[in-house]
Amino acid sequence: MIAGMKSKAEVLLVDDNPADIDLTREILSKCKLHFHVNAVNDGVEAISYLHRDGNYADAPAPDLMVLDLNLPRKDGRAVLRELKSDPHLAKIPVIVFTTSQASSDISRSYELGANCYLRKPGNLHDFAAVVQSMAEFWLGFASLPHKEKR
Amino acid sequence: MITTEKEEKQGSAPIRQNADSPRQKLRALIVEDNSSDVELVLHALRKGSFELQSDVVQSAQEFTARVRQNTYDVILSDYRLPGWNGMGTIEILQREALDIPVVIVSGALGDVKAVDCIKQGAADYVLKDHLPRLPESVRRAVREKQLRDEHRHAQEELARSNRDLEQFAYVASHDLQEPLRMVATYTQLLAERYQGKLDQNADKYIHYAVDGAIRMQILVKDLLAFSRVGRQEAVPQPVDCNLVIKTVIANLQAAIGESGAQVLYENLPVIVADHGEMVQLFQNLVANAIKFRSAAPPVIHIVAENQKRDWLFSVTDNGIGIAPEHAEMIFVIFKRLHTHEEYPGSGIGLSICKKIVEKQGGRIWVQSQLGQGSIFHFTFPVKKEVVNP
Repeated sequence: MIAGMKSKAEVLLVDDNPADIDLTREILSKCKLHFHVNAVNDGVEAISYLHRDGNYADAPAPDLMVLDLNLPRKDGRAVLRELKSDPHLAKIPVIVFTTSQASSDISRSYELGANCYLRKPGNLHDFAAVVQSMAEFWLGFASLPHKEKR
Repeated sequence: MITTEKEEKQGSAPIRQNADSPRQKLRALIVEDNSSDVELVLHALRKGSFELQSDVVQSAQEFTARVRQNTYDVILSDYRLPGWNGMGTIEILQREALDIPVVIVSGALGDVKAVDCIKQGAADYVLKDHLPRLPESVRRAVREKQLRDEHRHAQEELARSNRDLEQFAYVASHDLQEPLRMVATYTQLLAERYQGKLDQNADKYIHYAVDGAIRMQILVKDLLAFSRVGRQEAVPQPVDCNLVIKTVIANLQAAIGESGAQVLYENLPVIVADHGEMVQLFQNLVANAIKFRSAAPPVIHIVAENQKRDWLFSVTDNGIGIAPEHAEMIFVIFKRLHTHEEYPGSGIGLSICKKIVEKQGGRIWVQSQLGQGSIFHFTFPVKKEVVNP
């Protein structure tokens, strides 16, 4: 990939755990890829962000969303359902990133249209490996849909 | 038709009885079509120092209505009744799911019928000619019922407390994972970022914290696995143990390759069980045989023998063995025979095995001498195959 050819990709992290957001940002910052990371802490905020409501009027449209499942106010499953049933938002790739290993959560997420399901590993080394691979694949190798001008 | 019997002055007898024991309250339902027999029964009980509250019925319908409405300590029923007989009361009580002792009070029935009454669930059988025996018979029937209740109550209490404990272990281990992940991840980040940049003590402290967090993660993960055994009510299905061992070998590929272990098995049976649990059971045993190996490469032999009622499985290894005095302890949760430096682990693996085996009505034990390998035996009931509809 030739740097500068692409405009910076926008990544939206949706997670209520600031420690996980910090860690994910930290690992992403080490990747040799051009992107910009935004984060929100619950499902309601995520939906506002996507719709550019209120405080998020100037928020950039995300190219990739990394979504935790267990979130306050509106949980990740509901966010996923809303996003994937909205024709303007449905094409945004969503990576579910959660501690849940329940097979019901995995199946449900894919049924709702998740593009990938990743479990948060319990140790730093594996966590870093998962986030790096995710970034390399989705922001490096994968071709992402063009953003609509809104 | 309620007759409440207050204490009655009946010569000297009640005074003596009062001194010995207080009058016992008794709610009795009398099933009798002969009113003079009712009087005789009441009289006998009164003499037996009961403070009586009694109803009298004749028909099955009346009887059913009464037991639905009221609670009784005892039912005193004649055997021959117009249109039905005394044993009908037991059938009705069973149908109504009521546990009330029934004493048959009857004219001579003959030994065969009397024994029949007891067999079918009557608490006792008292001849009308021997009514002075009635109070003692009633007292015993009521006491037995009380013991039954107490026993049932204790069992229910035990089952409930076990359920609570399991629920607690499940919730605790499940909910501990998330904060623990933060501790593990961030102490590791600290170690990575600041190793050698603080002083030697700091490096050591961080190492302890990282090590402790990782150990606790293993513990919590295993505890969760332990509390999950039997939580999911999986429908038992035919499980081919040969395929189970194949899965186990695939799962343990790394450890097997690293240790040069050989896992041998032959003609294992198909049993009715939960597939996932059987994998867990064999995997824990095989993994232990590899972990506690001697200097020689591990050789693990799995066989099963049909003992009519049970399958006897044996997992034999050539590992370090276990002293006979520790043979029971190793199945107790969290019990370990070695330090974490010698052999890491949570001390939960074998208690998971025990729980899986015992849940199916089997038994698990070890036969071993220190330094001479071990044989883990467990039994698994031979169950009827699942009948296809």
